Amino acid sequence: MGLSLDALERVVAGNKIYARKATEQDPQFFKTLATGQSPEILWIGCADSRVPETTVCNCQPGDIFVHRNIANCLHADDLSASSVVEYATTHLKVKRIVVCGHTKCGGANAALGDADLGPTLNTWLLPLRELRRKHKGELESLADDDAKAVRLAELNVQQSLDVLRKHPTVSKAINERGLTLHGMIFDIAAGELRVLDQAKKGNGLWTAPQ
Amino acid sequence: MASQDVAKYLKESHDRIFENNREWAAEQKAKDPEFFTKLSAGQEPDYLWIGCSDSRIPAEQITGLGAGEVFIHRNIANLVCNTDLNVMSVVNYAVRHLKVKHIIVCGHYGCGGVKAALTPQDMGLLNPWLRNIRDVYRLHENELDAIADESKRYDRLVELNVVEQCRNIIKTAAVQQSYATNGFPIVHGWVFGFQDGLLKDLKVDHEKMLRDIQKIYNLTQG
Ligand SMILES: [Zn+2]
Ligand SMILES: [Zn+2]
Repeated sequence: MGLSLDALERVVAGNKIYARKATEQDPQFFKTLATGQSPEILWIGCADSRVPETTVCNCQPGDIFVHRNIANCLHADDLSASSVVEYATTHLKVKRIVVCGHTKCGGANAALGDADLGPTLNTWLLPLRELRRKHKGELESLADDDAKAVRLAELNVQQSLDVLRKHPTVSKAINERGLTLHGMIFDIAAGELRVLDQAKKGNGLWTAPQ
Repeated sequence: MASQDVAKYLKESHDRIFENNREWAAEQKAKDPEFFTKLSAGQEPDYLWIGCSDSRIPAEQITGLGAGEVFIHRNIANLVCNTDLNVMSVVNYAVRHLKVKHIIVCGHYGCGGVKAALTPQDMGLLNPWLRNIRDVYRLHENELDAIADESKRYDRLVELNVVEQCRNIIKTAAVQQSYATNGFPIVHGWVFGFQDGLLKDLKVDHEKMLRDIQKIYNLTQG
């Protein structure tokens, strides 16, 4: 088949450049990395290619433990995300969990529409459509589709934080060692992270009420 | 640290994220004033990356890819489980809607998830997830048991786990149907090594793997 390998070669070449540069800057870089990880942050974000957490936070490898899925959804019965949360909280003892939604989210947009997305995505996005139903009045009062999608993304982040708070290990870590939960929205058009609730903001930080 | 100090420290290091983010955004705008406007118009990534949640392997940085270029799913030990709606939604969306050309499963040596799975211990909530890695071990028991050196055996399990997850992706209806119609996506298995920061290609033969699994798992008929 006539599929060009250029795209793949680019990644391979990109990795070689990355490895060379990182070693040039700090000959011990990979040796240090190999000894283990102790990230302070667990990031739960969207799989969307435009929101690379470590890049947009100008962080380094080793800083952020990551779970990314369609529309940064957290469902209490999702074993994949629960395992990530459990591992990060119990074993890595992260200090903060960030749930980050974003503007122009394809998942939020899809949940606002009534198209049949096939059995897999219909099921995955069911909780988002449920949120849409619950907040129908508010969403319909918004002027355009982008604003509706942002609002649904915000509601979804809040719901994910609720799920997190009910996670037994998380609630224990909140009480015992001061783990904090944070909701954010990444504004793609501005390239900036925004705290979810400006009204409750302190020091550029929004902490979910316990 | 006293609890007040801890709170202050947390606040400061959290603020750092926002400061860093503003720096990054300003840098991108300086390089290309239209960067975020273009980004905002939509995404057309060529790649789907399925990697480990491990903080040391940010996919975009280690491949030199920028924002907008790679759709990302990361979980504990880069697993692709048949009954996991989370990963299946990602594969489905990436293949059917974004029409990615390549799917990369990337594991890494020194994976804590793989190590935990080899530990004879009750890991509570993590048991069912890690069980998938133990199953990979059982599938390749003879080969793995023959490796005397423990760290080499563990490295090999990391590789075999990646290959097994590639096979799991190829088993999906989305990948089989898209490949039959379009000739893509092609599935690749890689492992990231901390020794040199390089990606090792496990040379998964997509065509052959597809043919082999289709004897039993053929889902091309709509
Ligand atoms: Zn999204
Ligand atoms: Zn890992």
